[in-house]
Amino acid sequence: MKFDTVIIGGGLAGLVAGISLQKAGRSTAIVSAGQNALHFFSGTFESMEQDARTEDLFAEAGIRLSWREGWRLMPLGTFRPAGLSLEDVSLLETPALPGSALIVNFAGFHDFFASFLAEGLEKAGTSCRTRVLQIREMEDMRLSPSEMRSVNIARTMDRIWEKVVGEVRELLKDEDTVILPQVFGLEDPTVPGKIREALPARVIFVGTLPPSVPGIRTQHQLQRRYGVLGGTYLMGDEVVSAQMEGDRVVSISTKNLGSHVLSADSFVLSSGSFFSKGLMSTPEHVYEPLFKLDVVFAEERSDWYRPDFMDNQPYLSFGVRTDADLRALKGGRPVENLYAMGSILGGTRPEFGTGAGLAIRSAFAVSDALTR
Amino acid sequence: MRSNEFDVIIIGGGITGAGTQRDCAMRGLRTLLVERSDIATGATGRNHGLLHSGARYAVNDPESAEECIRENRILRRIASHCVDDTQGLFITLPEDDLAYQKTFVECCRKADIDAEIIDPAEAIRLEPSVNPALVGAVKVPDGSVDPFRLTAANMLDAKLHGGQVLLQTEVTGFIREGDTIKGIRTRNVLTGATAEYYAPVTVNAAGIWGQHIAEMASVQVGMFPSKGALLIFAHRVNSVVINRCRKPANADILVPGDTVCIIGTTSTRIPFEECDNVAVTPEEVNLLISEGAKLAPSLASTRILRAYAGVRPLVSADNDPSGRNISRGIVCLDHETRDGLKGFVTITGGKLMTYRLMAEMATDAVCRKLGVSKACETAVTPLPGSEANSLREVAEVIWENPNTVQKASASRLGTRAERLRGGDRYDQALICECEEVSVGEINSAIERLDVSDLTDLRRRTRVGMGTCQGELCACRASALLARAHGCVERERKDMKDYLTERWKGNFPIGWGDTLREAEYTQWVYKHVLGL
Repeated sequence: MKFDTVIIGGGLAGLVAGISLQKAGRSTAIVSAGQNALHFFSGTFESMEQDARTEDLFAEAGIRLSWREGWRLMPLGTFRPAGLSLEDVSLLETPALPGSALIVNFAGFHDFFASFLAEGLEKAGTSCRTRVLQIREMEDMRLSPSEMRSVNIARTMDRIWEKVVGEVRELLKDEDTVILPQVFGLEDPTVPGKIREALPARVIFVGTLPPSVPGIRTQHQLQRRYGVLGGTYLMGDEVVSAQMEGDRVVSISTKNLGSHVLSADSFVLSSGSFFSKGLMSTPEHVYEPLFKLDVVFAEERSDWYRPDFMDNQPYLSFGVRTDADLRALKGGRPVENLYAMGSILGGTRPEFGTGAGLAIRSAFAVSDALTR
Repeated sequence: MRSNEFDVIIIGGGITGAGTQRDCAMRGLRTLLVERSDIATGATGRNHGLLHSGARYAVNDPESAEECIRENRILRRIASHCVDDTQGLFITLPEDDLAYQKTFVECCRKADIDAEIIDPAEAIRLEPSVNPALVGAVKVPDGSVDPFRLTAANMLDAKLHGGQVLLQTEVTGFIREGDTIKGIRTRNVLTGATAEYYAPVTVNAAGIWGQHIAEMASVQVGMFPSKGALLIFAHRVNSVVINRCRKPANADILVPGDTVCIIGTTSTRIPFEECDNVAVTPEEVNLLISEGAKLAPSLASTRILRAYAGVRPLVSADNDPSGRNISRGIVCLDHETRDGLKGFVTITGGKLMTYRLMAEMATDAVCRKLGVSKACETAVTPLPGSEANSLREVAEVIWENPNTVQKASASRLGTRAERLRGGDRYDQALICECEEVSVGEINSAIERLDVSDLTDLRRRTRVGMGTCQGELCACRASALLARAHGCVERERKDMKDYLTERWKGNFPIGWGDTLREAEYTQWVYKHVLGL
């Protein structure tokens, strides 16, 4: 199989680059091993503010993004500066919720932290009331002790959200705000908006423990958009080896395709950092397993970590070395047709930001370099 | 009788203190135990969890060997829900001297330890993970024991016999009249509240910190702080304890425990100042992995869950720089006969394995002073939870068709799991998926077992001890604690402390899958939850 570009890694960076390249008329394929950072996405693109190019790309995929200078409410009842966000996330002017709030959870759902929210909000001056909904349709789920998780609840909510909203309306007295867990609209992205319209108070959806329902929905929407544009998304496949000729990558082999290699003029590596195995580590070093690219990391293992868990950990800044055009370096020389983007870059290209910002900006930079 | 007056005060909430309190309480004494932190935070919870057969000491320390095998037999009876009867192997590798095996077996038999030489091929059948290069093998009645469970069960029984327990309570001084200790002054480390408690006898069971306690009472007990580092692997690689058949050395015991296995230890003398915060060095990690792989080669490629270290409360004897040759024997000091100080007893030395005997010796000393003649019954009376013979028996008596969550509860609580029987579907929801700990079990631990934070909860329920090291369960459990204690503020700090404490054991082995998991956990708490 021959493509203009083959992208290794189907997360946020891979999909943004894939969509951009397809729009520019290139033929591309994405090899995706499965889950990626979108499955534990907070709903806000870290290190990003207003950005027309990103907003347009997402809008074409049916995803409305918004931005304002301000704050957002986090799952443990703290406020963080706002960023470019999905519609699910409410962007607030101040780190507070004026007036009163009703916090609603589902009985036996331990991945949404109503008591922490209430305490944090009370401290910021909101008077809070917490209520727990008992939903008949969720009773069978409890037969298995590990079923009450966000995505399972969201599947039920897709069917009965209107009924649940009715029950929330019953609970509501004169509160200014209703706070609900982010378990709505797994399939249908319009549901959170419809809930906002259906209730006579401001509705704020607050995150749960992973998996992230808005994140999974976003992944599906981007993936669908990529497919509509003619991209080939190889789901659940894994690159096992790469064939090189001199300083060029000729093709790659995957687990599922066996002896049928994927050939392309250019290749893009967006296989993520440690969690996604884009970077791997041994007691002695950090390496990139597929192409054995040059990786920036601290020589002494004791310099990889800080003892306080909440500190910025140095290992998170380790990443693949690249040239100005994001071409990956191997043995100190750029591989002519291999680009790296997303979290595999770690902190080696601080100009692209961190997290989702790094993924999106570096993906645009790579697609620009490939279409120049 | 005032509420701050007791027959005996016990200082230290490790296994020795808990065992002593149980014994004293069973002999009818009114007991108070004070612990400055939580149960089993010192050497008790920082070892292999090996139910020694005594074979390890047979050649060099026959007295300890004999004590071990007697206590081994007793613990199998009285603490069945804390003990896993794994059996043990002492293997000879090509680089070891096979002639040592003969001496070893002779010494074992002299100590009444059932040691049987078996064919290396049979050893491999018995324990497939063992190094196939072995040239000799001896089978012994080793096992594994859960030190947290054992301590909690002793303390619970003491309470059922009327004992009082004060955790997070530090001894700041003694109340002394002339040549007699009359009581203690304490300070609650969480609230700062001070108090005084009186008893005609006080027992110092503070492990390595016992030297400091003794100094407060103006007597000398010379301790030898010996650090031992260990690694926990994420799988139960072996089902039989594997030891090296040679003179005791570094990293030569591999013990299966619950879902994991543990390799250790090292032995290094450390200054007293370091006892409160022992860290595992990269050199120790490297040594443990390379020596461990000689026992079971697959360890070299098995994920490591965490690194930790404890400090053995050895009693100073000679100039041995490593402490390897100091007797693991029990030291029970009546300071009246030794130093002319009345009302004060120190129980130290010894080991987890011989805690019950230590407790018996200390209690005998207390009873002599108080003129109490009731005999010790701890060797024959089962601990709460151990009244049934097997886990299967426990689970089946309680639940007709136990599911896996109920079986996991029964394995931790023994017959005490009966108290969870009434639990509904809400109580059965899982908080910790790695270790299968339910809402009901966590709430029950919070209610009955003096839990003040997540780390305490971990010691009593195994919540967060599994592969993910608290990645998702820490905040779930934290919400339950916040509800029980009515304080969210405290739980925010608790969560951070807990994650840092877990990280302390993770970063010394922070590569491969451990680093992957750490990256995910860091992402979840910082960026998703906004802690």
